[in-house]
Amino acid sequence: MKKKLIGVLLCTAMVGAMFPATLFAEERTTFTVGFDAEYPPYGYMDENGEYTGFDLELAQAVCDLRGWELVKTPINWDSKDMELESGSIDCIWNGFTINGREDAYTWSVPYVDNSQVIITSKNSGITTLEDLAGKVVGVQAASAALQVLQDEEQQKELADTFATLQEFSDYNSAFVELQAGSVDAIAMDIGVANYQIKSRSNGEDFVILDEHLNAEQYGVGFKKGNTELAEQVNESLMELLEDGTFAELAEKYELTDMVCLGNEEAAEEAETETETAAE
Amino acid sequence: MTNYLEINHLKKSFGNLEVLKDISLTVKKGEVLAIIGPSGSGKSTLLRCATFLETMDGGDLSYLGEKAVTMDAQGNSHYEKPAKLKEIQTNFGLVFQNFNLFPHYSVLKNVTDALIRVQKKPKQEAYEIGRSLLEKMGLSDKEDCYPYQLSGGQQQRVSIARALAQNPKVLFFDEPTSALDPELTGEILKVIKDLAAEHMTMVIVTHEMNFARNVADHIIFMDRGVIAEEGAPEELFNSKNPRMQEFFGKFE
Amino acid sequence: MSFTTMLSQMSVGMMRTIGIFVLTLLFSLPLGLVVSFGRMSKWKPLSLVVKFYISVMRGTPLMLQLLVVFFGPFYLFGMNIGGSWRFIAIIVGFSLNYAAYFAEIFRSGIESMPVGQYEAAKLLGYSKGQTFFLIILPQVIKRILPSVTNEIITLVKDTSLAFALAYMEMFTIAKQIAASKTTFLPFIIAAVFYYVFNLLVAVVMEAVEKKLSYYR
Repeated sequence: MKKKLIGVLLCTAMVGAMFPATLFAEERTTFTVGFDAEYPPYGYMDENGEYTGFDLELAQAVCDLRGWELVKTPINWDSKDMELESGSIDCIWNGFTINGREDAYTWSVPYVDNSQVIITSKNSGITTLEDLAGKVVGVQAASAALQVLQDEEQQKELADTFATLQEFSDYNSAFVELQAGSVDAIAMDIGVANYQIKSRSNGEDFVILDEHLNAEQYGVGFKKGNTELAEQVNESLMELLEDGTFAELAEKYELTDMVCLGNEEAAEEAETETETAAE
Repeated sequence: MTNYLEINHLKKSFGNLEVLKDISLTVKKGEVLAIIGPSGSGKSTLLRCATFLETMDGGDLSYLGEKAVTMDAQGNSHYEKPAKLKEIQTNFGLVFQNFNLFPHYSVLKNVTDALIRVQKKPKQEAYEIGRSLLEKMGLSDKEDCYPYQLSGGQQQRVSIARALAQNPKVLFFDEPTSALDPELTGEILKVIKDLAAEHMTMVIVTHEMNFARNVADHIIFMDRGVIAEEGAPEELFNSKNPRMQEFFGKFE
Repeated sequence: MSFTTMLSQMSVGMMRTIGIFVLTLLFSLPLGLVVSFGRMSKWKPLSLVVKFYISVMRGTPLMLQLLVVFFGPFYLFGMNIGGSWRFIAIIVGFSLNYAAYFAEIFRSGIESMPVGQYEAAKLLGYSKGQTFFLIILPQVIKRILPSVTNEIITLVKDTSLAFALAYMEMFTIAKQIAASKTTFLPFIIAAVFYYVFNLLVAVVMEAVEKKLSYYR
């Protein structure tokens, strides 16, 4: 009985102590980035148990320019919208695909051009998207690749030729299944695909199909209507592009081929490529 | 001299079933009253009303002249305040049919815990009282045992010791031997007989006809919620009441 | 990443897992007792409300309840959530959920007590509080111990549900390391941790049961 009472008091005190600090923050001092810590190379846990990645370093660089303190908040990807909506994070910055979500968020400028690709075993005999007919294809739950495969205007038709479109929760188990033969191919972002092939001990066993599912772009997603913050981040990103920091980071994470910051043609290219792929 | 226990016009119903219809009885100091009768006749309910375990609907109830329950003009019962009832309750003790010892307490603790926690007696004094009662019950070597380690007869003797430790003026027994194997009933009946010899005031609900005849000063025969017959043992056992003869017949 | 660094990083998560476990037990056990009183209340409105609470807690996934507790204050009251609320929400969510299960266990134990124990205590003059805490509760605890042990073991494994609120407990960290290092080793470490933790729980509970076996 006593313990219970103390518990209630403790909780009340903690809740009470926490609200004033957040309620009356006027001048921005912190910048809270929500990310999926299981999404290398954009956001993940490094050797020392620190969260890092291309996106997080980029966010850090923006914060350095702005004089903000970066708060890295790993989130459960499935509840990213609630996290953003409720204000527990300021943005989603994590290889976040703009295409198809244009109206759901206020976006920064696109900074990475990312295709959705198919990865398969070298000896699977699958070389084109057509070869996937009747095969089991894996895809991460709630991912952009899944969206592409479910969108009637994109690759729904292709997906319908699969034996199964199997959703999985993380790439690790997906690759084990691919190796074991229980799935024939996996659909994912090209950046992730490159990373997985490079970092796996048996990476040379896998290939990326030349034919892409689509092309798409990554941006930083802000709560709908938060244009002020989006503008600020855009400004800083352009600054980082000019002073070379952006290119440096892209190189560090071997994303040089994919970055598109300031490249206006990127959007058009993406469109044409999607059309080709859909044919 | 005031009666130790006095009940007048006691009525009790469970729903539509009238279990006790206008029961009156008195128990004097040192008297042993036995209540007999077929099962369902209301004798256990009578005992439970007398010990505050059931609430009576009508009639009054007093211990040593102190009213615990008063009766209004319509015959309905009105209970005293809880504090008053608690005080009056110290006048009596109850030995249950199935002992109701506290299984997690040792024998000595079963007997002494209420003395220490309720009556706030010093531990040493409580232990002295407890040990002397256990000795009287022939259980001196069992004080550290737990109830499950004892026979039914031994457990019932512990529960008698527990009731006696409260130093009650009136001690109730609710079929104290019914839960025991036949060969164990004797030891309990002997204990009660010894208490009678010490002029302990007792009210005993029992099925043991011979025992009731030997130990009781007064016997009440209950049938269908009323006192069908009462009197000294010899009067009663020679009664011509057909219900009673039928009842006795079952025990021959 | 070497095995030892992996282990040391996961050990941070292990402390958090243990934290969830300990705090949840600390709050949910007494709360469960209070809830069981409400459930057994003779005042119908109260017992109905409590019955509904228990059925919701048992009838919906804990993960969903955690989301509701964490995001609820924002969606209902527009409160700004963040900072330490994440952890508090986890403890509140777990405690509310487990209290419901413990309440039913307490209730089953309390209702299985023979009425004679109450009557004997009443005749001896014990107050209601004394009767419950001295006579009834100790016996109830002995009776419900096996069911409580079951719940506690489930709780050890349920702590991983805190990932729904992105709390970096052991299993969430294991998943992150597994993702960045493309290895299953963290999962093996996690399995061993849960197993050893539950082994400890089982040993402790067995010792408690043994301690209470002095009577029957």
